[in-house]
Amino acid sequence: MAMKTGPEGQGALLRVEGLRVGYRGRALLPPMTFAIRPGDLWGLIGPNGSGKTTLLRTLLGLHPRLGGDMERGAGVRVAYVPQRGDLDAAIPGRVLDVVLEGVDRGWSFLDPLGTLRRRDEVHRALEDVGAAALAHQRFRELSEGQKQRVLVAGALVSRPDLLVLDEPTSAMDHAGEHAVFDLLETLRTSRRLAVLVVSHHTALLMEHVSHLAFVDRECGAAVAGPLEDVAATPCFRAHFTGRGFEHPDPAVAAQGGAA
Amino acid sequence: MTGNEVPTIAQFFDAWELFQYPAMSGAIAGALMGWLGVYVVLGRMVFLSAALSQAAGLGVALAFWLQIGWGMADSPLASPWVGATVLTVVATLLLLADRSPAGTRREAILGFAYLAGAAGTLAVGTRIAAEVHDIESLLFGSAVAVLPDDFRLLATVAAVILAIHAWGSRGMIQAAFSPDAARVRGLPVGALRVVLFGSVALAISVCTRVVGALPVFALSVLPAAAATRLAPSVRWSLWLAAGIGAFAGFAGYVAAFLWSLPVGASQTLVAAAITGVVFAAEVPIALRARWKRARPAA
Repeated sequence: MAMKTGPEGQGALLRVEGLRVGYRGRALLPPMTFAIRPGDLWGLIGPNGSGKTTLLRTLLGLHPRLGGDMERGAGVRVAYVPQRGDLDAAIPGRVLDVVLEGVDRGWSFLDPLGTLRRRDEVHRALEDVGAAALAHQRFRELSEGQKQRVLVAGALVSRPDLLVLDEPTSAMDHAGEHAVFDLLETLRTSRRLAVLVVSHHTALLMEHVSHLAFVDRECGAAVAGPLEDVAATPCFRAHFTGRGFEHPDPAVAAQGGAA
Repeated sequence: MTGNEVPTIAQFFDAWELFQYPAMSGAIAGALMGWLGVYVVLGRMVFLSAALSQAAGLGVALAFWLQIGWGMADSPLASPWVGATVLTVVATLLLLADRSPAGTRREAILGFAYLAGAAGTLAVGTRIAAEVHDIESLLFGSAVAVLPDDFRLLATVAAVILAIHAWGSRGMIQAAFSPDAARVRGLPVGALRVVLFGSVALAISVCTRVVGALPVFALSVLPAAAATRLAPSVRWSLWLAAGIGAFAGFAGYVAAFLWSLPVGASQTLVAAAITGVVFAAEVPIALRARWKRARPAA
């Protein structure tokens, strides 16, 4: 899976070139090329049924790609926080247990003392997300915002370079949504993490992300790059017109980039 | 002990040499199925153990039929162990091969395995009249005796499976309940799931042959149902379910001795009683929590 390393791919944690995603040989989206670097905060948006989930699962290695190249930097660690709705409320667990689940990578689960050795790290992750006081509470009894913090802590204990979150603000009120993004911003700078967030909340995403991947099967769009560049594309502008998004560049916004 | 005298626990332990194998088999099968049952119950696969134990039962019945009807009494291929294992593995492979969206075909496959297993066992039973008692033992766990060789096999299989599961429990839990996040972190989710399903299939086939289909189903569901309500985490649930299962398997056998009950039914009832108490104890707790929520803030 050798890839040409152009200047734009230097130091990338994850680099895709001409990536094609889809099912049974049928591509859902046009080929995509982009690179995620340390400290980037990426948003992945698109309407329902646009191919977002397929792209996300392909980037995570959970779904085979149809073509193109995809390469993780040497030793790059990725952690994934699925949607909270995917978690079964019947599964018992205290906050500490949920975070401890994130400790293992590869075959490390065979080390019987692995979690004991990482206790300090678990507590530090809980402190970093502001959930240290919740350590012994039952996970299912927490609020949605608290649950999301705990899940992020669970992802942090595996010491990722790239943190991927699927709809982290679903079922939250406005304050809760902002709190999640503020937390991600803090982690991005304090831990020099790259973060990729899938979200339906376009306006909220625009306030926080540095880069965007926008997919829309209807207009055949699959663009990724710095926020300003993606927001200037015709399909994006057409899709989000009147939805409250102001393009960061006033000149573009004046031409109709307001969305 | 005269005919009308109620046996005592002291008499049970006086005759320990006679009862040690079946009583300990109940405890071992209970511990093994209790542990694995946590994955079955939390994975919403309660019907899995019912279907696999019926498939194992059919395998044993077919083995008897080959021995009696086809003159294969000396053939290792007609061993009840082989029959139970082959049929359980076939049923498990059918389930693992299901790639339907959200496992929609899985329920139908489970139903097929359960019904074909149960009806097939009863049908084959009519062709092996001499072994009909064995068939009843197999279905309802009414066997009061266990051969030393069968006990040793069960103990060995249980020790190996429990050791593997205790050692790899962190990986097994993540592969079962958070497979996507575990895959992203590089855990061998596919291999862990094969080990998980493989050990469930092997445990059910061996336990069904020794203690019967009904108690195997009960011990794989009821202790786990109670333990997951009581324990603070999945890891604690595994140990607690194994303990409850071991107790139910052993105490059920003792209760069968004391009150002249069928063994499998007795083991099932003990497990059901423990689970019933746990469920009942939750009612006042839930009501108190609801009352607290409904009470206006002071």
